[in-house]
Amino acid sequence: MALLSDLLGHAVLSGGVLALGALGEVIAERAGVLNLGVEGLMSLGAVVAVMTVNATPHPWLGLLAAGLVGGLGASVLALSSVVLRANQVLCGVAITFLGLGLSSVIGRSVAGVPVSAVFEPVSIPVLSAIPVIGPAFFSQNILVYLIYLVFPVMAHFWLFRTRSGLDLRAVGENPAAADAVGVPVMKYRALAVIVGGVLAGVAGADLTLAVVPVWSDGMIAGRGWIAVALVIFAGYRPIVAVLSGLLFGLVTAVGFMGQARGWPVAPAILNTLPYLGTVACIIVPMLAFAKLRSAMAAPAALGTPYYRSGR
Amino acid sequence: MSAVSPRTRLTVVPSHRIAVGRGLSILAALGIVAITLAAMGRSPIELAGLVVRSTVGSRFGIEDLALFMTPLMLTGAAVWVGIRVNLWNIGAEGQLYAGATAATAVGLFTHWPAIVALPAMVVAGALAGAAWIFIPAAARAWLGVSEIVTSLLLNFVASLLVYYLATGPWADRVTGALASTERLHVALPELWGAVHLGFLLALGIVVGLGVGLAKSRFGYETAVCGSNPQAAHYAGIKVAPRILAVLLLSGALAGLAGVFEVAGTVHRLQGGLANNYGYLGIVVALLARGSCFALIPAALLMALILDTGIVLQTTQISSSAVLAITGLLVLAIAAGDEMAAYVRVNRN
Repeated sequence: MALLSDLLGHAVLSGGVLALGALGEVIAERAGVLNLGVEGLMSLGAVVAVMTVNATPHPWLGLLAAGLVGGLGASVLALSSVVLRANQVLCGVAITFLGLGLSSVIGRSVAGVPVSAVFEPVSIPVLSAIPVIGPAFFSQNILVYLIYLVFPVMAHFWLFRTRSGLDLRAVGENPAAADAVGVPVMKYRALAVIVGGVLAGVAGADLTLAVVPVWSDGMIAGRGWIAVALVIFAGYRPIVAVLSGLLFGLVTAVGFMGQARGWPVAPAILNTLPYLGTVACIIVPMLAFAKLRSAMAAPAALGTPYYRSGR
Repeated sequence: MSAVSPRTRLTVVPSHRIAVGRGLSILAALGIVAITLAAMGRSPIELAGLVVRSTVGSRFGIEDLALFMTPLMLTGAAVWVGIRVNLWNIGAEGQLYAGATAATAVGLFTHWPAIVALPAMVVAGALAGAAWIFIPAAARAWLGVSEIVTSLLLNFVASLLVYYLATGPWADRVTGALASTERLHVALPELWGAVHLGFLLALGIVVGLGVGLAKSRFGYETAVCGSNPQAAHYAGIKVAPRILAVLLLSGALAGLAGVFEVAGTVHRLQGGLANNYGYLGIVVALLARGSCFALIPAALLMALILDTGIVLQTTQISSSAVLAITGLLVLAIAAGDEMAAYVRVNRN
């Protein structure tokens, strides 16, 4: 029982980083922009959060700074791939290089130093006393509640229940039609990329302020890329994206448990689980259910720059 | 707004415009780097002098350039054959590892003479590279699953498996160096200093690929599939097998980069062997644009940047700064290429 509870608790924690990254990417991709810079933005967010908290022992300030840096990095991406309409794949990879490189350079002084203040677990009375799921779900830090309850509901409401959400999705499906009815395509795309970047930065802060309370070089280790993959798995839906983050947290947690309990499998092999699991989860449903292919399809204009003259 | 003459976007951009756009964007990126270095209290001019002296200014530097160019030409070609038909293989890093692992298996566990072992390593490496991309390729061809993310995620798997092999079952037990396998029994012959046969082979492969794709039926049919899959379908070209074939070719090329790395440059399998060559292959392919032959100067430019990185590391500037500079350059070039497509229109 304690093992199961530990496993779930770890899944909720480590899945939160993926969930946030994926949620941000859903917003960007719904507007038609493929942001492949998530890995770099997460890395920047993670290091800036640690530096801010070590300078001012306030985790909330760290979170804010990480969000700002993520948004700033994403606005560079918005400038190049939305305003200048340069190739989205290349700009994304470039932002990842830039983010990983920069965060490693500026993070040198704090590498390996434990973070001075982190988000402490908050127990919800009554609920946290439920066996197994109580400690795992209701005795976590406050970010976990934001990530799994508040943010996805807000994102879902925005995208599917408001006028601006409809406009944003229209820009991602058919920018020419949206433009024709007066929706500012470039503005929506830039906004979506920046909101996505803020969430990627916050995801990085979640990693260093709540999951692994120390900065070390290369600690993002593909979490940003997994987040991008989860968006496809989730069929571009915010709530599903967050839940699939939890599912992948569980896969990571199984590997982690295996190491902690000394399973007779090499740690390197266990560490391949999240990546292999992600690949399998993207491909297998498509193989099994042909109908899913249209229901889970990407926004029609995803990855293509919009030129008014070329319509 | 009458003062500003309107601009229009060219669909085919003449190469002199690209050259100017690129020159300006590289200058802008280097300017940002110089300002950052100056702000850190370093003299950009002094560093630039040092870099020129120790890269193109010395025999050792030139040998290093050729060694860097070898894998970059091949991973560049791997990404380029994909981009040519609108497919993005971001997994060249993993395929390089797969090729290196297969070549190492042949080099470690057989005792064939070099004349047999080296071709066997090349074949095994190319096959392993192709096998590593098979699942993402098949999923893209028949299920329409984006190859970008699936090919990329397998990079992490390959890197972890190589690390596991090099520190675990295949680790060198003779010298006790636990981070790599022992030295392979065979090596590619060295031609000029440390520059080995792999350099010439890579050059030959790039040229052969350029000619082959331009002249062959396969090259033509895949180009049609890439630019308009529906037209290809109506013309009786089966699109899915062509997508699979192009991606397998791409994986094989990246696998070859891994073979030449272990057989010519590193001589053993170790973690971190891929050295970002797979990701940098994307940059090389971007720089080359539509031309396969342009992969060669593009790989040279990228090798120059990598070599600069090595030089800068000796002056206490970390290797991650080089990664950031590479990112900045890619961003600048991507933007520069796009801006070069806009020309002023004279309405009179």
